[in-house]
Amino acid sequence: MSPRAAVAARSGLEIGKPVDLDLSRTWLVDPVAGREGPAEIVVRGGVVAAVRWLRGPEAAGIDDRGIIVAPGFTDLHVHLREPGNEAAETIATGLAAAAHGGFTTVCVMPNTTPALDHPWLLDGFRAAVAGSGSPVRALPYGAATAGRAGEQLAPIGELGDAGAIGFSDDGAPIRSAPLLRSALAYAGMGGLPIVDHAEDPTLTDGAEANEGLIATALGLKGWPAAAEASAAARDVAILADVVRDVPGARLHLTHLSTGASLEVVRRAKAAGLPVTCDVTPHHLAFTDEWLAGARRFAWEALDADGAARDPWRDGVLTARPFDSSLRVNPPLRSALDATACLAALLDGTADAIATDHAPHAAVDKDVEFGLAANGISGLETALGLILEAVAAGRLPLLRAIQALTSGPARVLGARAPIAEASIMEGSPADLVVFDRSARWTVTREALASRGKNTPLVGRELPGQVLLTVAGGRLASTNPLG
Amino acid sequence: VTAARAAWPHRHLLDVDGLSWPDIELVMRTADEMVDVVAGRRAAEPVLRGVGVTILFYEASTRTRVSFELAARQLGASVVSVSAAGSSVTKGESLLDTVRTLEAEGAEMLVMRHGVSGAPYLVAEHFGGNVLNGGDGWHAHPTQALLDLYTIRAHLPSSGSGRRGTKPRGSARRDEAGGWSLAGRKVAIVGDVLHSRVARSNVWTLTAAGADLWVCGPSTLLRGFDAWARAGVGGERRFTVTSDVEAALRDADVVMTLRLQKERMASGLLPSLREYAATHGISRERLALAAPGAIVMHPGPMNEGVEIEPDVANGPQSVVTEQVANGVPIRMALLKLLRGAVA
Repeated sequence: MSPRAAVAARSGLEIGKPVDLDLSRTWLVDPVAGREGPAEIVVRGGVVAAVRWLRGPEAAGIDDRGIIVAPGFTDLHVHLREPGNEAAETIATGLAAAAHGGFTTVCVMPNTTPALDHPWLLDGFRAAVAGSGSPVRALPYGAATAGRAGEQLAPIGELGDAGAIGFSDDGAPIRSAPLLRSALAYAGMGGLPIVDHAEDPTLTDGAEANEGLIATALGLKGWPAAAEASAAARDVAILADVVRDVPGARLHLTHLSTGASLEVVRRAKAAGLPVTCDVTPHHLAFTDEWLAGARRFAWEALDADGAARDPWRDGVLTARPFDSSLRVNPPLRSALDATACLAALLDGTADAIATDHAPHAAVDKDVEFGLAANGISGLETALGLILEAVAAGRLPLLRAIQALTSGPARVLGARAPIAEASIMEGSPADLVVFDRSARWTVTREALASRGKNTPLVGRELPGQVLLTVAGGRLASTNPLG
Repeated sequence: VTAARAAWPHRHLLDVDGLSWPDIELVMRTADEMVDVVAGRRAAEPVLRGVGVTILFYEASTRTRVSFELAARQLGASVVSVSAAGSSVTKGESLLDTVRTLEAEGAEMLVMRHGVSGAPYLVAEHFGGNVLNGGDGWHAHPTQALLDLYTIRAHLPSSGSGRRGTKPRGSARRDEAGGWSLAGRKVAIVGDVLHSRVARSNVWTLTAAGADLWVCGPSTLLRGFDAWARAGVGGERRFTVTSDVEAALRDADVVMTLRLQKERMASGLLPSLREYAATHGISRERLALAAPGAIVMHPGPMNEGVEIEPDVANGPQSVVTEQVANGVPIRMALLKLLRGAVA
């Protein structure tokens, strides 16, 4: 039996419609129970009718390298560009990209034009989500400060009442320490997190690439790791003060990229502070040597003794240097930092993997490296990169799936309107089915996102998503069999 | 005549890190021929007759620009010179649109200088002809590094005995083949290394030539170079980074100074020009630490009295004007070789 014969749709599949599915002989991952194994799942009318773990002869020949079923993924950090830059992405194309990547919930950053800093702007957001026809949940963050200008608080209370799941000035770190303190305290009344992009901008003025060997040899202005670690340390110190008065205060540090900033979070968690963080697939898998033209993964760029290798010495510079699809904030770091991101996932310091999906129009990327917009289009390649890390033995499959499901659910907290990160009988089906062994080639045409800005164009990735079902309704499907 | 002589494998000249030592030797030998052409000892070869060479400079330049123009004209090219200030660039046209326009107007070889590191790599991907990097940001200035090496070669014949002891493995092999190298020679680059594309390109060429390379400046202007020196420039090469100017200069055969720009004070990297001159400026007293007869180089333009004292800049050990003069034959050689690679 071909592996894909295990996935049978009982009715015609149509985007947005409730599904009837018989998923037999699959490998089921339950991140909440911490369990994985052979199973069959039956979905009727969009509702999970049966989940049955298989044993003995029924389970024979089913392993974790074939068809895998997991709860639908949640992405804590995406940019959908609407309103204001629909050439880069719309809510509809962004949600299609999410579904194509296996995500059933995306948390949307407010750095649109205008910034999402008033409750009435949420009406337009919700109308666009509804108009997309996608069943993928799009949960909005509100701006933390008015206009993301960092000068006065946004209407955090009203935004929260209107459905904002947290507050962020992402891309523009909150420079003022007193304002960050107020934002943490104010949002803390409602138990909602401040999501900070930890960066000391005085250390990164004009910065282009992670400070170190690669930036030096390429003549790119260094982006010190200290800019992230010092901002993270400041944020945590302020949180420690705030939380004494406002027990509901919560800090989430997004897209941490350095060993030093992750160590700040590790210690803060050990001290019992309500801080969480995420890391991105690109900071796990890519390194700054990609800027010089290397294309090996981070775990291939380390010596046996754990030191970063020299790509010139290794003769691995195969691609054009200064590829602006690699320009991202925070920048791609060293192989040691990428390893620290993996270690943080393994020991629970990092709660989630978030893509920081940052689509851009070609006009903003087909320019000089130093002038290019920051960001990588990441929703559709996240699973593939993570599975590369799994295949390399750097990340157990269960932990990877947890970082895409139960981890982000825990970050969002009980107030967030998302599904339980578990496939349970009687609940609407919210799941992804992917073929871990099926490789697909990333092409501009294959990407549903308008943002084609990924260094993976032309590269094969493992883990083709076969089905994404959100809230019982079909979100994405690939031709089966 | 080696096999390498006939084969120039590169369509573009974007940096020197991708050049093999035989490539570099071929440039040197071709430049020897071009020196004779410039001096009238050898018949001019109009290898670029009818070829459109466009010189596109986004930053001010005197010597590099003039030198490229002279070189292209010597080879018979029709030369168009575009400066960013006088073009549609000031109207916000993108680099790629500008290049497409120049190509449509007949550019077949494009010489470009740009303030953003890596810009020529973007252009090379979209331009149908050859791209020559005339300097990009802090990244590379390949023709300068090659003319520097050419100038050094005229003054320092191969040091057969290797008077500083062990020679790097690569250059020892070259010596056996009878080629020129800098094995056993110490070269010190002193100045604002951090912001210098000249320094970066020279790191590649000088270490490829087998030199014992020392790079020196105040620690704020060396940021990142220690990581580079530790990585070893991609092989068994000798590369030392230090703030100690006396250690860098001691017994050096070549002292290369770099321009110090005044905005370095505003960005908090240095206290003052006066202090820089006192701690790292090349004076006669400091030069006396170098090997007898050491040559003094500067890519220009010089701030006399800051990174170099006037009596050194214009003194008997200075080869600064030779560097300028060598710019033409080196660029002729490169234009010829690159055009040959496409034809």
